[in-house]
Amino acid sequence: MSGLVSDEVAEDYKSSLEDLTGNDRFQISNLTVIAKENTEHAMAISRVLENHIRSTPPQQKLPALYVVDSIVKNVGTPYTLFLGRNMYTTFMNAYTLVDAQTRRKLDEMLKTWKEPVPGSLDTRPVFPPEITRSIESALIKARTAALQQEQARGNRDILNRGRGTPPGMSRPANNHHGTNGHGYGTPTPPQGPRPGSELDALNRDLEACILSARSDFAAAPFDPTSQQRLKALLDLQTIMRNQQLTPDQLRLVRDQLSAFRPAQAVQNPAPTAPPPAAAPVPPPAPVPTPPSQPVSQPLQNLLNSRTLAELIKNTAIRQQPTPPPVNPNAMPTMPQMPQMPQMPQMSSASHTPQPENPLIAALRSRGILPPASAPPAMGSTGQPSTGDALPFLMPGGMRSTPPAPTPPVSMPVSSTVPMTTASMKIPRIALVASLYEAKSNRCGTCGRRFPTTQEGKEQKARHLDWHFKTNQRMSEASKRAQTRSWYVDERDWIKSREVDDDQPVADTDATTEGGAGAEGNAAKQGPPKAWIRAPNDATLRNTPCPICQEKFESTWSEDVQDWIWQDAIKVGSRVYHASCYAEVTKDGPAPRSSTPQARTGTPDSVLGKRKAEGTDSPGGKTRIKTEA
Amino acid sequence: MSLPGLELTQPSEERHLAVAPPSQITLKAGSEWRFEVAFGHIVRVKLLTGTAELFGTELAESQTYTFSGTKAAIYTWYGCELEVSAGETGAVTSDGVTPVAGHGAGGCQSEYTAEETPMIEYANLHFALETMRQEAQGSGKDGPRVLLLGSDDAGKTSLAKILTAYATKSGRQPLVVNLDPTEAMLSVPGTLTATAFRTMLDVEDGWGSSPMSGPSPVPVKLPLVYSYPLANPLDAEASVYRPIVSRLALSVTGRLAEDEEARETGIIVDTPGILSSGKPGSLELINHIVTEFAITTIVVLGSERLYSTMVKQYDNKPSASASATIFDERISVLKLSKSGGCVDRDEAFRKATRESQIRSYFFGNPMPATVSAALSLSASTSGVTLSPHAQVMDFASLSIFNYTVISTEDEDEDEYDPSTLGMGGSFLPTGTDDSTTQHQEPDRAAPLPGIIGLSNDVHNHTVSNASSNVPLKKVLPPAPSALANTLIAVTHASTTASPAQVRDASIMGFLYVADVDAEKGKIRVLAPVGGRLPPRAMIWAKRWPTEVVGLVG
Repeated sequence: MSGLVSDEVAEDYKSSLEDLTGNDRFQISNLTVIAKENTEHAMAISRVLENHIRSTPPQQKLPALYVVDSIVKNVGTPYTLFLGRNMYTTFMNAYTLVDAQTRRKLDEMLKTWKEPVPGSLDTRPVFPPEITRSIESALIKARTAALQQEQARGNRDILNRGRGTPPGMSRPANNHHGTNGHGYGTPTPPQGPRPGSELDALNRDLEACILSARSDFAAAPFDPTSQQRLKALLDLQTIMRNQQLTPDQLRLVRDQLSAFRPAQAVQNPAPTAPPPAAAPVPPPAPVPTPPSQPVSQPLQNLLNSRTLAELIKNTAIRQQPTPPPVNPNAMPTMPQMPQMPQMPQMSSASHTPQPENPLIAALRSRGILPPASAPPAMGSTGQPSTGDALPFLMPGGMRSTPPAPTPPVSMPVSSTVPMTTASMKIPRIALVASLYEAKSNRCGTCGRRFPTTQEGKEQKARHLDWHFKTNQRMSEASKRAQTRSWYVDERDWIKSREVDDDQPVADTDATTEGGAGAEGNAAKQGPPKAWIRAPNDATLRNTPCPICQEKFESTWSEDVQDWIWQDAIKVGSRVYHASCYAEVTKDGPAPRSSTPQARTGTPDSVLGKRKAEGTDSPGGKTRIKTEA
Repeated sequence: MSLPGLELTQPSEERHLAVAPPSQITLKAGSEWRFEVAFGHIVRVKLLTGTAELFGTELAESQTYTFSGTKAAIYTWYGCELEVSAGETGAVTSDGVTPVAGHGAGGCQSEYTAEETPMIEYANLHFALETMRQEAQGSGKDGPRVLLLGSDDAGKTSLAKILTAYATKSGRQPLVVNLDPTEAMLSVPGTLTATAFRTMLDVEDGWGSSPMSGPSPVPVKLPLVYSYPLANPLDAEASVYRPIVSRLALSVTGRLAEDEEARETGIIVDTPGILSSGKPGSLELINHIVTEFAITTIVVLGSERLYSTMVKQYDNKPSASASATIFDERISVLKLSKSGGCVDRDEAFRKATRESQIRSYFFGNPMPATVSAALSLSASTSGVTLSPHAQVMDFASLSIFNYTVISTEDEDEDEYDPSTLGMGGSFLPTGTDDSTTQHQEPDRAAPLPGIIGLSNDVHNHTVSNASSNVPLKKVLPPAPSALANTLIAVTHASTTASPAQVRDASIMGFLYVADVDAEKGKIRVLAPVGGRLPPRAMIWAKRWPTEVVGLVG
């Protein structure tokens, strides 16, 4: 199957896939087209996709899964087959690793997989129901585990507070904890909306139903009916908590629930079990307890699954119960689920949108539940997200590749830009600001920018100083001939350090010294004698020192590769013997001719140092060139 | 086609046309103004409001920038208003061939506003590099080494400038390596250079200027220069180009090892377009560069085919850096769009550019004498006049080497002909020529100072295997008359250095031969610096980079 050609295609596909780091519609459709054109290599491509989704970092899993989504929807058959095989593992692996927001997106996507391709004549769902269902059930299970965890915590909390709450009473309290997340400190508060004791009773009933359904589910995790039932109940509970229901609606809910009553009655004695079972579990270690529960709940099977199945059948036409899809891959994946990082977030994540549940749909269709998804403002992290997480998704929201909300999300978080072709196309105008607004203090002469900080101001001051001096020197320099300097040799270049004009002068020496010890040291060994290049102009060359009236003597300096005047300095336009000048001005050592140049951050500074170094005996000391 | 060569001397009789009134150009955010100015024209551009940048280097507000012999673009991220006016010699189509050309704003040959630019991609590349630099800063890893590939006129050098400018703007100090001998960076053509950029680039003059004895309004840059006096890197099966690149890489590595800031910032390598042309041997040469500079990021401009080749060969492969295994450093290959503003520079324009680079090496970059008349001008003009020194030298006293590889420089450089390989006297067995007998000593390049433990065995090895001769031959008296009007590169190597040492030596400067007096054995040269010429080995490049007639009157 995987001949050489297939391998090549796969390799190419892999590299293109690796370029996909964000939710880029163009790239995804491009990858889809490639897949479409290479259906003969569908198997190889599918494998590449699976491997990629498995190995790519969490934040890139969603785009990759979107590629899968796009392919199965736009191309279809061979891929649906190949990708379907391991879809459970692929999906669950990704799901466990991504954050809550991405999970919601995955849930949305999964939902669309259960329906026919929009606009397609084919009425079959995107993936065969067995595949989607197995994923769904695993998700529900994980969610349950998370919920149980929370419940256990809630119960223990109550126990800790020494309230002799009977098991039945503890359930409303659970509700509260569920609602407010971790508001342990508050005394039993209003349980969300409280239209009276009827609601309490209803809640209790619901709670009981859930408990039994849960244990039922724990006993037979792969039984789709128990899954669905539990899911329906949990969703209903969420709605009850988060939404203000009118008494009429409550009654309807109650009627619906009464279908469960007989079973539930038998169930009632059981619930005492969970708290002890869960109590030893430390909150941060979200190890699920389902295995221990069935033991303490021998009656789980009493909940007549047929009753519910009937209900479900009645309410949901499109949901046909199917034989439990036992996926061999399911087992290794399942235990991973609860190990998801950050328990609190997980609980919210696990309540992310689910395919619309038939029970809820039924309730809603009868006007019991408002179609709106807006939750009555709950600020805490725990359950509130369930409100909008409820699967009231508009068909428009089923677009598997929404126009790239993902990249901008990641952008402001940090300025990290991945080095990929795809990432280059994403506009990051905010980052451009780092080149502009971030440094708003501009130099009027050259347009250079400085930060508005104190340091930036100092830099700018030094920079302007540099401009001023340069201008001064330029007008001076224009009077005499200037020449191009020789280029430096390798050693000097390696040792040289660029010095910016906005650095304090002191830094210049420090930097140079750090890089080129010998030169820096030489500069520090006592004041260097002054010297200048012998002027080229004949008259100037014959002009004597104005102080002692002696002529200057030209010596060839091997270092400078030029004729120089020892012990000479230029002051203004006149050249003096440095010693004479120093004596007259009592200035101490004459200023080094190279001092101003040291600030240009140019090789002049390097040369200047070299000059200084060589002045002890220029001409006599031959700088040993490496080439010699 | 319509572009003139150097026509500075042409009298502009059409002054009566008068200076066109300045035109204002309003750029929307994210658009750019592309303009072409012929040699001999002057166009002045002033930023009135907003922000604008030329190849990444920001323009200062209300400063006047003058352009001549340029094809460039001014981009704005946030929108701006420009004022464009003609210099005094402007408003005249000095080439006289295309009268329409000069009618653009300010006498530009061509100018228009473009809204579609790949600047977002280019900026993103910078930010991605910046990400890697931050990583390098924290971890002791080396900064990114970027290789820019693309055919001629794909915008490689412009991208290199943008990346350099943004990097310096971000307070970094990139090492920029120019491997394109046809286009110089801070030197004359026919050189390969490496330069650390800490200070801003020169808006008017591309990269800026190398050091001069006097001050410069824009801080000068310090290049390390090597001579590659052939037009085509692939000449002689790259047997000349390759070792020079290795040597350059060695120096750059040496600098990186010692210069912390350079290490963090990394390298930007600009390449000649011919490497991306798919010519035989070009991929091997790319591979050589990737290895020598331990490239981490390969950026392909425009070329789909080259991109896929590069992806196949390098993407996600470990880089050649010594620390690659420690940090799991992998090469990433990127494809960026070629800017729609890239224009083909025809041979005439390229030649004019080369000539003007040589001219400004010796004479500085004075704006034509009309500057004083432009009272509106601020002092920002970067005109610095240099005074080279003419002197007469005894040819016999000089140690001049010449590459015996037959270069294809005179033809179109695309017409690489493999049949010319292996020709030339250097492939004669040792001993048949007086000059070659001297180097019985191993063809070993001088060890790079300051770097112990790094050895350049690799290339020496290949070289000595291929032929124990470096195709460098001493030019013996009498002085060939062909020397006239050409450049001689003065190396840092001593006169007694072996050919390999001469080849690998960095360059100290250039001489321009004005006259050859074969009878007396004297040549008259123009040296950048006065005083006696240091006794150094020199490389004569025959007619490359170009014959500049009349540099000295």
